[in-house]
Amino acid sequence: MSATGRILKEFAGLKTRRPLKLLGASGQLGYGIPTPAFQAGLERKPDLIGCDMGSIDIGPYYLGSGNMATARESTKRDLRKVLIAARLHDIPLVIGSAGSAGGAPHLEQTLAIVREIAKEGGLHFRLGVIAGDIPKDIIIDAIRAQGVVGIDGMPALTEDDVLGAAHIVGQMGMSSFEQAFKADIDVLITGRACDTAIFSTLPVMLGFPIGLSVHLAKIIECASLCCLPGGRDSILATLDDESFVLESMAPQRRATPTSVAAHSLYEQNDPYVIIEPEGRAVLNEAKYEQIDERRTRISGAQWLEAPQITIKIEGSTRVGERAILLCGAADPIFIKNHEEILRDVTKVVRDLVCEDAPEDYTLFWRVFGVNGVTDPLPDAVTPSEICMTIECIAPTTARASEVVRTMKQYLLHFGYEGRLSTGGNLAFAFTPPEISVGTAYKFSVYHIMTTARLSELFQLKIEEL
Amino acid sequence: MYLQDIARVIRSKNAGPRCTTLDIMFNSDEDYNRVIQSKVINQALIAKLYDMPADQVNIIEYPMSRALKIAIPRKITAGDPGDRDVYGAQQHARLFKVEIV
Repeated sequence: MSATGRILKEFAGLKTRRPLKLLGASGQLGYGIPTPAFQAGLERKPDLIGCDMGSIDIGPYYLGSGNMATARESTKRDLRKVLIAARLHDIPLVIGSAGSAGGAPHLEQTLAIVREIAKEGGLHFRLGVIAGDIPKDIIIDAIRAQGVVGIDGMPALTEDDVLGAAHIVGQMGMSSFEQAFKADIDVLITGRACDTAIFSTLPVMLGFPIGLSVHLAKIIECASLCCLPGGRDSILATLDDESFVLESMAPQRRATPTSVAAHSLYEQNDPYVIIEPEGRAVLNEAKYEQIDERRTRISGAQWLEAPQITIKIEGSTRVGERAILLCGAADPIFIKNHEEILRDVTKVVRDLVCEDAPEDYTLFWRVFGVNGVTDPLPDAVTPSEICMTIECIAPTTARASEVVRTMKQYLLHFGYEGRLSTGGNLAFAFTPPEISVGTAYKFSVYHIMTTARLSELFQLKIEEL
Repeated sequence: MYLQDIARVIRSKNAGPRCTTLDIMFNSDEDYNRVIQSKVINQALIAKLYDMPADQVNIIEYPMSRALKIAIPRKITAGDPGDRDVYGAQQHARLFKVEIV
Protein backbone atom coordinates (compact mmCIF):
# COMPACT_ATOMS: atom_id res chain seq x y z
CA MET A 1 0.00 0.00 0.00
CA SER A 2 1.17 3.51 -0.74
CA ALA A 3 2.08 6.12 1.84
CA THR A 4 -1.09 8.19 1.33
CA GLY A 5 -3.28 5.08 1.20
CA ARG A 6 -1.89 3.88 4.50
CA ILE A 7 -2.56 7.06 6.47
CA LEU A 8 -6.06 7.48 5.02
CA LYS A 9 -6.84 3.86 6.00
CA GLU A 10 -5.37 4.30 9.48
CA PHE A 11 -7.52 7.36 10.21
CA ALA A 12 -10.63 5.72 8.73
CA GLY A 13 -10.22 3.01 11.38
CA LEU A 14 -9.72 5.35 14.35
CA LYS A 15 -12.60 6.04 16.74
CA THR A 16 -11.04 9.35 17.75
CA ARG A 17 -8.51 11.18 15.64
CA ARG A 18 -4.93 11.12 16.86
CA PRO A 19 -2.81 14.25 16.43
CA LEU A 20 -1.26 14.67 12.99
CA LYS A 21 2.39 15.67 12.58
CA LEU A 22 3.44 17.63 9.51
CA LEU A 23 7.05 18.45 8.68
CA GLY A 24 7.69 21.68 6.76
CA ALA A 25 11.05 20.74 5.28
CA SER A 26 11.69 23.73 3.06
CA GLY A 27 10.05 26.93 1.92
CA GLN A 28 12.33 27.19 -1.10
CA LEU A 29 13.43 23.75 -2.16
CA GLY A 30 16.62 24.04 -4.17
CA TYR A 31 18.33 26.61 -1.96
CA GLY A 32 19.49 24.06 0.61
CA ILE A 33 17.75 22.15 3.41
CA PRO A 34 19.84 22.22 6.60
CA THR A 35 20.42 18.56 7.46
CA PRO A 36 20.50 18.60 11.30
CA ALA A 37 17.03 20.15 11.64
CA PHE A 38 15.59 17.96 8.88
CA GLN A 39 16.97 14.84 10.60
CA ALA A 40 15.61 16.03 13.95
CA GLY A 41 12.23 16.40 12.26
CA LEU A 42 12.34 12.86 10.91
CA GLU A 43 13.09 11.52 14.39
CA ARG A 44 9.74 12.93 15.49
CA LYS A 45 8.04 10.52 13.06
CA PRO A 46 6.05 13.01 10.97
CA ASP A 47 3.02 11.87 8.96
CA LEU A 48 3.95 13.96 5.92
CA ILE A 49 6.91 15.89 4.53
CA GLY A 50 6.04 19.00 2.56
CA CYS A 51 8.17 21.44 0.54
CA ASP A 52 7.25 24.53 -1.37
CA MET A 53 9.43 25.15 -4.37
CA GLY A 54 8.02 28.26 -6.02
CA SER A 55 6.85 31.82 -5.82
CA ILE A 56 5.81 34.71 -8.01
CA ASP A 57 8.19 37.02 -6.10
CA ILE A 58 11.14 36.01 -8.24
CA GLY A 59 9.76 38.00 -11.15
CA PRO A 60 8.50 37.20 -14.64
CA TYR A 61 11.72 35.79 -16.15
CA TYR A 62 11.48 32.25 -14.80
CA LEU A 63 7.84 31.71 -15.70
CA GLY A 64 8.42 33.21 -19.14
CA SER A 65 11.66 31.43 -20.01
CA GLY A 66 10.86 28.03 -18.52
CA ASN A 67 14.08 28.11 -16.50
CA MET A 68 14.35 27.27 -12.80
CA ALA A 69 15.62 29.92 -10.38
CA THR A 70 17.61 27.35 -8.39
CA ALA A 71 20.76 25.64 -9.61
CA ARG A 72 20.25 22.08 -10.86
CA GLU A 73 22.82 20.57 -8.50
CA SER A 74 21.47 22.18 -5.33
CA THR A 75 17.94 21.31 -6.43
CA LYS A 76 18.98 17.71 -6.86
CA ARG A 77 20.67 17.65 -3.44
CA ASP A 78 17.48 18.88 -1.76
CA LEU A 79 15.20 16.58 -3.73
CA ARG A 80 17.43 13.61 -2.95
CA LYS A 81 17.35 14.44 0.75
CA VAL A 82 13.56 14.60 1.01
CA LEU A 83 12.88 11.68 -1.36
CA ILE A 84 15.20 9.29 0.45
CA ALA A 85 13.75 10.29 3.83
CA ALA A 86 10.14 9.96 2.70
CA ARG A 87 10.74 6.51 1.20
CA LEU A 88 12.77 5.33 4.19
CA HIS A 89 9.98 6.28 6.58
CA ASP A 90 7.26 5.41 4.05
CA ILE A 91 5.40 8.71 4.49
CA PRO A 92 3.92 10.98 1.83
CA LEU A 93 6.16 13.62 0.29
CA VAL A 94 4.42 16.63 -1.24
CA ILE A 95 6.22 19.23 -3.37
CA GLY A 96 4.33 22.24 -4.72
CA SER A 97 5.13 24.77 -7.47
CA ALA A 98 7.88 22.63 -8.98
CA GLY A 99 10.89 24.30 -10.56
CA SER A 100 10.33 27.83 -9.16
CA ALA A 101 7.48 28.98 -11.42
CA GLY A 102 5.40 25.81 -11.71
CA GLY A 103 4.93 25.76 -15.50
CA ALA A 104 5.29 22.73 -17.76
CA PRO A 105 9.04 23.13 -18.41
CA HIS A 106 9.70 23.69 -14.69
CA LEU A 107 7.72 20.61 -13.74
CA GLU A 108 9.46 18.54 -16.42
CA GLN A 109 12.93 19.59 -15.24
CA THR A 110 12.00 18.74 -11.65
CA LEU A 111 10.61 15.34 -12.68
CA ALA A 112 13.74 14.60 -14.70
CA ILE A 113 15.82 15.15 -11.55
CA VAL A 114 13.45 13.01 -9.48
CA ARG A 115 13.65 10.13 -11.98
CA GLU A 116 17.43 10.43 -11.98
CA ILE A 117 17.55 10.26 -8.17
CA ALA A 118 15.20 7.28 -8.12
CA LYS A 119 17.34 5.45 -10.65
CA GLU A 120 20.63 6.25 -8.91
CA GLY A 121 19.31 5.33 -5.47
CA GLY A 122 17.23 2.32 -6.49
CA LEU A 123 14.10 4.02 -5.12
CA HIS A 124 10.70 2.70 -6.17
CA PHE A 125 7.51 4.60 -5.52
CA ARG A 126 4.20 5.72 -6.94
CA LEU A 127 4.50 9.29 -8.12
CA GLY A 128 1.53 11.61 -8.63
CA VAL A 129 2.07 14.57 -10.95
CA ILE A 130 -0.33 17.47 -11.50
CA ALA A 131 0.56 20.13 -14.06
CA GLY A 132 -0.32 23.73 -13.24
CA ASP A 133 -0.59 25.13 -16.77
CA ILE A 134 -3.90 26.63 -17.82
CA PRO A 135 -4.88 25.96 -21.46
CA LYS A 136 -5.31 29.26 -23.29
CA ASP A 137 -8.73 28.38 -24.70
CA ILE A 138 -10.07 27.91 -21.17
CA ILE A 139 -8.90 31.42 -20.21
CA ILE A 140 -10.35 32.90 -23.40
CA ASP A 141 -13.69 31.20 -22.66
CA ALA A 142 -13.53 32.67 -19.16
CA ILE A 143 -12.78 36.17 -20.50
CA ARG A 144 -15.80 35.91 -22.82
CA ALA A 145 -17.95 34.82 -19.88
CA GLN A 146 -16.74 37.83 -17.82
CA GLY A 147 -15.01 35.44 -15.45
CA VAL A 148 -11.55 37.06 -15.30
CA VAL A 149 -10.73 39.95 -12.94
CA GLY A 150 -7.38 41.72 -12.50
CA ILE A 151 -5.69 41.55 -9.09
CA ASP A 152 -4.54 44.80 -7.43
CA GLY A 153 -5.45 47.00 -10.39
CA MET A 154 -4.01 44.74 -13.09
CA PRO A 155 -5.60 45.82 -16.41
CA ALA A 156 -8.45 43.79 -17.90
CA LEU A 157 -7.10 40.67 -19.58
CA THR A 158 -7.50 40.55 -23.37
CA GLU A 159 -7.50 37.55 -25.66
CA ASP A 160 -4.32 38.92 -27.26
CA ASP A 161 -2.63 38.99 -23.84
CA VAL A 162 -3.49 35.34 -23.40
CA LEU A 163 -2.35 34.32 -26.87
CA GLY A 164 0.89 36.30 -26.51
CA ALA A 165 1.93 34.85 -23.15
CA ALA A 166 4.88 32.46 -23.05
CA HIS A 167 3.41 30.46 -20.16
CA ILE A 168 0.27 30.79 -18.06
CA VAL A 169 -0.14 28.83 -14.84
CA GLY A 170 -2.84 28.71 -12.21
CA GLN A 171 -2.56 28.10 -8.49
CA MET A 172 -4.24 24.77 -7.81
CA GLY A 173 -5.68 24.25 -4.36
CA MET A 174 -6.75 21.51 -1.97
CA SER A 175 -9.35 20.00 -4.29
CA SER A 176 -6.64 19.26 -6.86
CA PHE A 177 -4.28 17.78 -4.28
CA GLU A 178 -7.10 15.66 -2.86
CA GLN A 179 -7.54 13.67 -6.09
CA ALA A 180 -3.86 12.73 -5.87
CA PHE A 181 -4.04 11.64 -2.23
CA LYS A 182 -7.04 9.45 -3.09
CA ALA A 183 -5.06 7.83 -5.91
CA ASP A 184 -2.81 5.93 -3.56
CA ILE A 185 0.50 7.68 -4.15
CA ASP A 186 3.77 8.01 -2.26
CA VAL A 187 5.07 11.26 -3.72
CA LEU A 188 3.14 14.18 -5.19
CA ILE A 189 4.85 16.82 -7.32
CA THR A 190 2.73 19.62 -8.72
CA GLY A 191 3.07 22.58 -11.00
CA ARG A 192 1.99 25.99 -9.71
CA ALA A 193 0.02 25.50 -6.52
CA CYS A 194 -1.14 27.34 -3.43
CA ASP A 195 1.69 26.90 -0.95
CA THR A 196 -0.93 26.06 1.68
CA ALA A 197 -2.43 23.08 -0.18
CA ILE A 198 0.84 21.17 0.30
CA PHE A 199 0.11 20.87 4.01
CA SER A 200 -3.62 21.52 4.44
CA THR A 201 -5.02 18.89 2.06
CA LEU A 202 -4.22 15.79 4.12
CA PRO A 203 -5.55 17.08 7.47
CA VAL A 204 -8.74 18.34 5.82
CA MET A 205 -9.26 14.92 4.21
CA LEU A 206 -8.77 13.32 7.63
CA GLY A 207 -11.47 15.52 9.14
CA PHE A 208 -9.41 18.19 10.94
CA PRO A 209 -10.90 21.71 10.89
CA ILE A 210 -10.21 23.50 7.61
CA GLY A 211 -9.46 26.91 9.17
CA LEU A 212 -6.79 25.43 11.45
CA SER A 213 -5.32 23.32 8.65
CA VAL A 214 -4.99 26.29 6.32
CA HIS A 215 -3.56 28.55 9.02
CA LEU A 216 -1.00 25.89 9.93
CA ALA A 217 -0.11 25.37 6.28
CA LYS A 218 0.40 29.07 5.62
CA ILE A 219 2.95 29.21 8.43
CA ILE A 220 4.96 26.02 7.93
CA GLU A 221 5.27 26.38 4.16
CA CYS A 222 8.01 28.89 5.01
CA ALA A 223 9.78 26.39 7.33
CA SER A 224 11.16 28.15 10.44
CA LEU A 225 10.71 31.68 9.12
CA CYS A 226 8.00 32.23 11.77
CA CYS A 227 10.55 31.78 14.56
CA LEU A 228 12.92 34.02 16.44
CA PRO A 229 15.41 34.15 14.83
CA GLY A 230 13.76 33.13 11.56
CA GLY A 231 15.50 30.65 9.29
CA ARG A 232 15.32 27.91 6.70
CA ASP A 233 15.35 24.97 9.10
CA SER A 234 12.56 22.41 9.08
CA ILE A 235 9.57 22.98 11.35
CA LEU A 236 7.12 20.51 12.89
CA ALA A 237 3.41 21.22 13.30
CA THR A 238 1.28 18.94 15.48
CA LEU A 239 -2.42 19.33 14.79
CA ASP A 240 -5.44 18.21 16.80
CA ASP A 241 -9.11 19.15 16.57
CA GLU A 242 -8.78 22.39 18.54
CA SER A 243 -5.32 23.76 17.81
CA PHE A 244 -1.86 23.16 16.44
CA VAL A 245 1.57 23.42 18.02
CA LEU A 246 4.62 24.73 16.18
CA GLU A 247 8.17 23.76 17.00
CA SER A 248 11.26 24.49 14.94
CA MET A 249 13.57 21.53 14.49
CA ALA A 250 16.58 23.82 14.97
CA PRO A 251 17.17 24.29 18.73
CA GLN A 252 18.15 27.96 18.44
CA ARG A 253 14.89 28.93 16.73
CA ARG A 254 11.97 29.73 19.03
CA ALA A 255 8.36 29.81 17.88
CA THR A 256 6.91 32.50 20.16
CA PRO A 257 3.34 33.86 20.09
CA THR A 258 4.59 37.19 18.76
CA SER A 259 6.91 35.70 16.15
CA VAL A 260 4.26 33.28 14.86
CA ALA A 261 1.53 35.93 14.76
CA ALA A 262 3.94 38.22 12.95
CA HIS A 263 4.36 35.66 10.19
CA SER A 264 0.85 36.55 9.02
CA LEU A 265 2.27 39.90 7.98
CA TYR A 266 4.87 38.43 5.67
CA GLU A 267 4.16 38.96 1.95
CA GLN A 268 0.44 39.43 2.72
CA ASN A 269 -1.50 42.62 2.30
CA ASP A 270 -3.99 41.65 5.02
CA PRO A 271 -2.70 39.71 8.04
CA TYR A 272 -6.21 38.62 9.07
CA VAL A 273 -7.13 36.65 5.94
CA ILE A 274 -5.67 33.74 3.96
CA ILE A 275 -7.44 33.49 0.61
CA GLU A 276 -7.64 30.08 -1.05
CA PRO A 277 -9.45 28.88 -4.20
CA GLU A 278 -12.09 27.17 -2.04
CA GLY A 279 -12.63 29.92 0.52
CA ARG A 280 -10.76 31.91 3.11
CA ALA A 281 -9.30 31.38 6.57
CA VAL A 282 -10.13 34.31 8.84
CA LEU A 283 -7.68 34.95 11.64
CA ASN A 284 -9.39 37.72 13.65
CA GLU A 285 -10.07 35.28 16.52
CA ALA A 286 -6.74 33.47 16.27
CA LYS A 287 -5.02 32.83 19.61
CA TYR A 288 -1.30 32.34 20.10
CA GLU A 289 -0.33 30.76 23.44
CA GLN A 290 3.15 30.08 24.65
CA ILE A 291 3.72 26.45 25.74
CA ASP A 292 7.39 26.84 26.59
CA GLU A 293 10.37 28.78 25.32
CA ARG A 294 10.37 27.10 21.92
CA ARG A 295 6.76 26.13 21.25
CA THR A 296 3.53 28.00 20.62
CA ARG A 297 -0.03 26.68 20.43
CA ILE A 298 -2.31 28.32 17.85
CA SER A 299 -6.08 28.12 17.65
CA GLY A 300 -9.10 30.10 16.53
CA ALA A 301 -8.83 30.35 12.72
CA GLN A 302 -12.26 30.22 11.07
CA TRP A 303 -13.03 28.96 7.58
CA LEU A 304 -15.47 30.69 5.25
CA GLU A 305 -16.25 28.65 2.18
CA ALA A 306 -16.40 30.56 -1.12
CA PRO A 307 -19.59 30.33 -3.17
CA GLN A 308 -17.49 28.99 -6.02
CA ILE A 309 -13.89 27.98 -6.66
CA THR A 310 -11.70 30.69 -8.21
CA ILE A 311 -8.20 30.26 -9.63
CA LYS A 312 -5.40 32.78 -9.43
CA ILE A 313 -3.67 32.77 -12.83
CA GLU A 314 -0.17 34.07 -13.63
CA GLY A 315 1.32 34.61 -17.04
CA SER A 316 4.53 36.02 -18.45
CA THR A 317 5.17 37.51 -21.89
CA ARG A 318 8.37 38.17 -23.82
CA VAL A 319 9.20 41.87 -24.10
CA GLY A 320 12.45 41.65 -26.07
CA GLU A 321 16.14 40.87 -25.66
CA ARG A 322 18.10 42.57 -22.90
CA ALA A 323 21.69 43.83 -22.82
CA ILE A 324 23.24 45.83 -20.00
CA LEU A 325 26.31 47.94 -19.38
CA LEU A 326 27.85 48.12 -15.90
CA CYS A 327 30.05 51.10 -15.11
CA GLY A 328 31.02 53.52 -12.38
CA ALA A 329 32.08 57.13 -11.99
CA ALA A 330 33.93 59.06 -9.29
CA ASP A 331 34.23 62.49 -10.89
CA PRO A 332 32.19 65.04 -8.89
CA ILE A 333 31.41 67.15 -11.95
CA PHE A 334 30.20 64.11 -13.87
CA ILE A 335 28.16 62.95 -10.87
CA LYS A 336 26.59 66.37 -10.42
CA ASN A 337 25.57 66.54 -14.07
CA HIS A 338 24.91 62.86 -14.74
CA GLU A 339 21.22 63.25 -15.60
CA GLU A 340 21.85 65.76 -18.32
CA ILE A 341 24.90 63.84 -19.59
CA LEU A 342 22.96 60.58 -19.85
CA ARG A 343 20.13 62.32 -21.70
CA ASP A 344 22.53 63.99 -24.12
CA VAL A 345 24.46 60.80 -24.84
CA THR A 346 21.19 58.94 -25.43
CA LYS A 347 20.44 61.39 -28.25
CA VAL A 348 23.89 60.93 -29.75
CA VAL A 349 23.44 57.16 -29.63
CA ARG A 350 19.97 57.34 -31.15
CA ASP A 351 21.23 59.40 -34.09
CA LEU A 352 23.96 56.83 -34.71
CA VAL A 353 22.10 53.54 -34.30
CA CYS A 354 18.94 54.81 -36.00
CA GLU A 355 20.70 56.18 -39.06
CA ASP A 356 19.46 53.28 -41.14
CA ALA A 357 17.13 51.50 -38.67
CA PRO A 358 13.99 52.39 -36.72
CA GLU A 359 14.14 53.40 -33.04
CA ASP A 360 13.02 49.94 -32.03
CA TYR A 361 14.53 49.73 -28.53
CA THR A 362 14.04 51.16 -25.07
CA LEU A 363 16.90 52.37 -22.95
CA PHE A 364 16.80 52.63 -19.15
CA TRP A 365 19.42 53.61 -16.66
CA ARG A 366 19.67 53.22 -12.94
CA VAL A 367 22.18 55.34 -11.09
CA PHE A 368 23.11 53.55 -7.88
CA GLY A 369 24.09 55.98 -5.19
CA VAL A 370 21.45 58.41 -6.43
CA ASN A 371 18.17 56.75 -7.43
CA GLY A 372 18.94 53.21 -8.55
CA VAL A 373 16.65 51.69 -5.93
CA THR A 374 14.16 54.35 -4.82
CA ASP A 375 13.41 57.99 -5.50
CA PRO A 376 15.79 60.12 -3.43
CA LEU A 377 14.54 61.85 -0.29
CA PRO A 378 14.84 65.66 -0.17
CA ASP A 379 17.78 65.45 2.27
CA ALA A 380 19.77 62.94 0.18
CA VAL A 381 23.49 63.73 -0.04
CA THR A 382 25.52 63.68 -3.26
CA PRO A 383 27.61 60.49 -3.34
CA SER A 384 31.35 60.42 -4.01
CA GLU A 385 30.93 57.51 -6.42
CA ILE A 386 28.05 56.19 -8.49
CA CYS A 387 27.38 52.92 -10.24
CA MET A 388 25.29 52.88 -13.37
CA THR A 389 23.46 50.11 -15.14
CA ILE A 390 22.47 51.08 -18.65
CA GLU A 391 19.90 48.64 -19.95
CA CYS A 392 18.57 48.18 -23.45
CA ILE A 393 15.60 46.04 -24.45
CA ALA A 394 15.42 45.53 -28.22
CA PRO A 395 13.83 43.07 -30.66
CA THR A 396 17.06 41.11 -31.07
CA THR A 397 20.17 40.37 -29.00
CA ALA A 398 22.32 41.94 -31.70
CA ARG A 399 20.34 45.18 -31.62
CA ALA A 400 20.37 45.43 -27.81
CA SER A 401 24.10 44.78 -27.79
CA GLU A 402 24.71 47.38 -30.51
CA VAL A 403 22.86 50.04 -28.52
CA VAL A 404 24.65 49.44 -25.19
CA ARG A 405 28.06 49.20 -26.87
CA THR A 406 27.48 52.50 -28.61
CA MET A 407 26.22 53.97 -25.35
CA LYS A 408 29.37 52.76 -23.60
CA GLN A 409 31.73 54.35 -26.07
CA TYR A 410 29.99 57.73 -26.27
CA LEU A 411 29.30 57.97 -22.55
CA LEU A 412 32.97 57.16 -21.92
CA HIS A 413 34.21 60.01 -24.08
CA PHE A 414 31.36 62.52 -23.95
CA GLY A 415 32.65 66.08 -23.64
CA TYR A 416 30.15 67.44 -21.14
CA GLU A 417 30.00 71.04 -19.98
CA GLY A 418 32.70 71.86 -17.42
CA ARG A 419 34.65 68.62 -17.88
CA LEU A 420 38.22 68.55 -16.45
CA SER A 421 38.82 64.83 -16.87
CA THR A 422 39.42 64.18 -20.56
CA GLY A 423 40.81 60.63 -20.20
CA GLY A 424 37.41 58.96 -19.95
CA ASN A 425 34.21 59.40 -17.95
CA LEU A 426 33.66 55.84 -16.78
CA ALA A 427 35.34 53.17 -14.67
CA PHE A 428 34.87 49.56 -15.78
CA ALA A 429 35.54 46.90 -13.17
CA PHE A 430 36.17 44.38 -15.95
CA THR A 431 35.83 44.09 -19.68
CA PRO A 432 33.65 43.46 -21.50
CA PRO A 433 31.51 45.77 -19.37
CA GLU A 434 28.45 45.08 -21.50
CA ILE A 435 26.59 41.79 -21.24
CA SER A 436 23.68 40.22 -23.08
CA VAL A 437 21.47 38.86 -20.34
CA GLY A 438 18.86 37.03 -22.38
CA THR A 439 15.18 37.51 -22.98
CA ALA A 440 13.23 40.07 -20.96
CA TYR A 441 9.71 39.18 -19.81
CA LYS A 442 6.89 40.92 -18.02
CA PHE A 443 3.89 39.71 -16.07
CA SER A 444 0.96 40.01 -18.43
CA VAL A 445 -1.44 37.85 -16.45
CA TYR A 446 -2.12 38.24 -12.73
CA HIS A 447 -5.83 37.67 -12.46
CA ILE A 448 -8.55 35.71 -10.71
CA MET A 449 -10.45 33.36 -12.97
CA THR A 450 -13.81 31.68 -12.56
CA THR A 451 -14.35 28.95 -15.11
CA ALA A 452 -17.06 26.48 -16.05
CA ARG A 453 -14.30 24.16 -17.25
CA LEU A 454 -12.68 23.62 -13.84
CA SER A 455 -12.77 19.83 -14.20
CA GLU A 456 -10.43 20.06 -17.20
CA LEU A 457 -7.72 21.76 -15.14
CA PHE A 458 -5.04 20.20 -12.94
CA GLN A 459 -5.31 16.61 -14.18
CA LEU A 460 -3.51 13.95 -12.19
CA LYS A 461 -1.01 11.64 -13.85
CA ILE A 462 0.52 8.62 -12.15
CA GLU A 463 4.02 7.34 -12.76
CA GLU A 464 5.47 4.17 -11.24
CA LEU A 465 9.16 4.56 -10.50
CA MET B 1 12.24 60.66 18.31
CA TYR B 2 12.39 58.89 14.97
CA LEU B 3 10.54 55.71 14.07
CA GLN B 4 13.91 53.95 13.68
CA ASP B 5 14.66 54.60 17.35
CA ILE B 6 11.51 52.91 18.60
CA ALA B 7 10.66 50.17 16.04
CA ARG B 8 12.03 46.62 16.21
CA VAL B 9 11.43 45.97 12.51
CA ILE B 10 10.87 48.32 9.57
CA ARG B 11 10.70 46.38 6.31
CA SER B 12 9.15 46.24 2.86
CA LYS B 13 8.26 43.35 0.55
CA ASN B 14 5.95 42.57 -2.31
CA ALA B 15 2.57 41.02 -1.66
CA GLY B 16 2.20 39.88 -5.24
CA PRO B 17 3.72 41.77 -8.18
CA ARG B 18 1.32 44.74 -7.92
CA CYS B 19 1.55 45.60 -4.24
CA THR B 20 4.28 46.72 -1.85
CA THR B 21 3.71 46.13 1.84
CA LEU B 22 5.50 47.93 4.64
CA ASP B 23 5.64 46.38 8.12
CA ILE B 24 6.53 48.27 11.26
CA MET B 25 6.88 46.19 14.44
CA PHE B 26 7.57 47.18 18.03
CA ASN B 27 9.14 45.49 21.03
CA SER B 28 6.54 46.44 23.61
CA ASP B 29 2.84 47.26 23.84
CA GLU B 30 3.92 50.61 25.20
CA ASP B 31 5.92 51.50 22.08
CA TYR B 32 3.21 50.14 19.80
CA ASN B 33 0.46 52.07 21.57
CA ARG B 34 2.53 55.22 21.61
CA VAL B 35 2.88 55.17 17.83
CA ILE B 36 -0.77 54.20 17.27
CA GLN B 37 -2.00 56.93 19.59
CA SER B 38 0.29 59.53 18.03
CA LYS B 39 -1.61 58.89 14.74
CA VAL B 40 1.57 59.93 12.93
CA ILE B 41 1.51 56.89 10.65
CA ASN B 42 -1.53 57.74 8.57
CA GLN B 43 -2.63 57.61 4.94
CA ALA B 44 -1.59 61.21 4.23
CA LEU B 45 1.96 60.67 5.52
CA ILE B 46 2.50 57.45 3.56
CA ALA B 47 0.98 59.05 0.45
CA LYS B 48 3.44 61.93 0.75
CA LEU B 49 6.47 59.71 1.40
CA TYR B 50 5.65 57.38 -1.49
CA ASP B 51 4.19 60.00 -3.82
CA MET B 52 0.72 58.60 -4.40
CA PRO B 53 -2.92 59.47 -3.67
CA ALA B 54 -3.88 58.90 -0.02
CA ASP B 55 -6.88 56.76 -0.93
CA GLN B 56 -4.51 54.15 -2.38
CA VAL B 57 -2.83 53.63 0.99
CA ASN B 58 -4.19 50.90 3.24
CA ILE B 59 -3.08 50.71 6.88
CA ILE B 60 -3.99 47.81 9.18
CA GLU B 61 -3.29 47.69 12.91
CA TYR B 62 -2.17 44.26 14.06
CA PRO B 63 -1.82 44.39 17.86
CA MET B 64 -1.08 40.67 18.35
CA SER B 65 2.34 41.29 16.81
CA ARG B 66 2.52 44.94 17.90
CA ALA B 67 2.68 45.77 14.22
CA LEU B 68 1.37 48.13 11.57
CA LYS B 69 0.82 46.77 8.09
CA ILE B 70 0.78 49.27 5.24
CA ALA B 71 -0.10 48.22 1.69
CA ILE B 72 0.49 50.51 -1.30
CA PRO B 73 0.22 49.81 -5.02
CA ARG B 74 3.45 49.45 -6.98
CA LYS B 75 3.92 52.09 -9.66
CA ILE B 76 5.59 49.51 -11.88
CA THR B 77 4.57 45.84 -11.79
CA ALA B 78 7.40 43.72 -10.36
CA GLY B 79 9.94 42.89 -13.04
CA ASP B 80 8.44 45.08 -15.77
CA PRO B 81 11.00 47.01 -17.85
CA GLY B 82 12.18 49.96 -15.76
CA ASP B 83 11.47 48.35 -12.38
CA ARG B 84 14.13 49.00 -9.76
CA ASP B 85 13.24 46.53 -7.02
CA VAL B 86 11.67 43.26 -8.17
CA TYR B 87 11.12 41.90 -4.65
CA GLY B 88 10.21 45.30 -3.22
CA ALA B 89 12.50 44.62 -0.28
CA GLN B 90 14.30 48.01 -0.27
CA GLN B 91 11.39 50.46 -0.21
CA HIS B 92 11.24 50.84 3.57
CA ALA B 93 14.09 53.24 4.38
CA ARG B 94 12.08 56.45 4.06
CA LEU B 95 10.09 55.37 7.11
CA PHE B 96 13.18 55.47 9.36
CA LYS B 97 13.14 59.21 9.86
CA VAL B 98 9.41 59.61 10.49
CA GLU B 99 9.17 61.69 13.61
CA ILE B 100 7.12 60.27 16.46
CA VAL B 101 5.74 62.98 18.71
